[in-house]
Amino acid sequence: MKASEGMYDEAVLFVTRQGSQVQVDGGRIVVWDVDGDEGRLASRPIEKVDTINVFGGVNFSTPFVAKANEHGIVLNYFTQHGKYRGSFVPEKNTIAEVRRAQYALSDDAELEIAKAMISGKIRNARTLLSRKGVHGTEVLKDLGVRTEKATSKDDLRGTEGEAAERYFARLDETLTDGWTFETRSKRPPEDHINSLLSLTYVFMKNEVLAALRQYNLDPFLGVLHADRHGRPSLALDLQEEFRPIFCDAFVTRLVNRGAITHDDFRTDNRLRDDAFDTYLSKFDDYMQEEFTHPYFEYTVSRRKAIRQQAILLRKVITDELDDYHPLTFDR
Amino acid sequence: MKSPPTVGQRDKVVHVSALNEYVYCPRRFYYQRYHDEIGTPYELVDGRSKHQNQSNRGGWITERYFRADELKLHGKIDLIESEGGVFTPVERKRSESGQYYPSDEVQLTGYCMLLEAALNEPVNVGYIYLYSTDERHAVRITDRHRRTVREIITRIEEMSVGSIPPLTDNPEKCEACSAREYCMPAETARLEPEKAAGTGWEDEI
Repeated sequence: MKASEGMYDEAVLFVTRQGSQVQVDGGRIVVWDVDGDEGRLASRPIEKVDTINVFGGVNFSTPFVAKANEHGIVLNYFTQHGKYRGSFVPEKNTIAEVRRAQYALSDDAELEIAKAMISGKIRNARTLLSRKGVHGTEVLKDLGVRTEKATSKDDLRGTEGEAAERYFARLDETLTDGWTFETRSKRPPEDHINSLLSLTYVFMKNEVLAALRQYNLDPFLGVLHADRHGRPSLALDLQEEFRPIFCDAFVTRLVNRGAITHDDFRTDNRLRDDAFDTYLSKFDDYMQEEFTHPYFEYTVSRRKAIRQQAILLRKVITDELDDYHPLTFDR
Repeated sequence: MKSPPTVGQRDKVVHVSALNEYVYCPRRFYYQRYHDEIGTPYELVDGRSKHQNQSNRGGWITERYFRADELKLHGKIDLIESEGGVFTPVERKRSESGQYYPSDEVQLTGYCMLLEAALNEPVNVGYIYLYSTDERHAVRITDRHRRTVREIITRIEEMSVGSIPPLTDNPEKCEACSAREYCMPAETARLEPEKAAGTGWEDEI
């Protein structure tokens, strides 16, 4: 078997340069330094891109937005520090039949999908710890078994919460000297490691959101996360299985290899501007990095694997597959 | 003058290119029809630009749209050759292999039938032109061809979003298929082998 080469690796474009403009030039997307004098900063074939993430003061030319609409390219707006502000979604980004199937999912069907996702997440949590030499995670194994017996979403959420607590209690052991993980804190993250975790979850959520949009699923209607205005519940659901194995693994790699140090943070625990750029480019590289797929036995980039999971999710929703098959790693 | 199609009718006529798509792989056609999910194959983009280059030659009728409600068929014939009052549709194909496929013959038959309905006289020959060899093949359109087209139209009419056609019986077709990334035939056979039972993918894994 083989997967098509490089299909999605350049699908997501990040633009952070303040004062730049995204334009179209023939069949290419061009990022132009309009405020400065550096001219063309980057260029990609328009066919390859499906998502553009811009941070802060970046503009799109009007002809470019028309092209983005025509080619189905989603534009996501963030503040300069990565807080999501909204999206431009092309008009053809809705396939009625897929949406109908998604909205018609029964509670039981949603629970089955959610159980597969959470059980995958717990499996991956154990695998990450074991890869880092953290042993004695039988309790996680038991919790994984318990997810399969969940009879309600609340029941499943309870098991998930307990597993997360157990897992985070051991995450500290994966970090190199000088870094500690006491407890998971958000809004605001209380230390540097929590800040990196939060940032990475946001970026992974955007990756998943892009994948769901690409396959015309409604990212705001979830199977497990409770409905809340403006919350992309389905993206958060699908993100679960990737959290330990992709997100947490990425953060531990960043700090263990010294790509990010304590000096890279401001007093409010946010990354400094130049460190944020470093972070972004590392994240994009990480998404394009390839691994051997655990069941398909070909190499895929992480980005492509995430898109494949969106396809598999859609196939369960449209009744083409019987079960959701999360991406799990046994070792 | 024909009245414009109503909302109900518009979805009921079958596009000639759909005949070819359906014969190639019903599942691929299903994705295209219901999920807008086939990607843009290189062949199509390349073919389009070649069409553009060649559609201005003198003496030929190009890019003419036909619709025959009684056949439940419509479509645009890219090229019609007219000689001594005889009209012959030409279907041009990129075909790297230097051959054309049964599905191309079916598509050509569809054009001949549309032309017949418009002219109200039989069109018994069509041409398939292959860019790769610069050769033109005359195809005699028989009643068997016409029956095949009618059968396929019926099968397309009977399709529904709730029943997805099986994986192809010929996995070699998947190699060049632009919907493969979405269809995931090998992956499906591996994840849910029963879904590949009885198809060409059953023994591939």
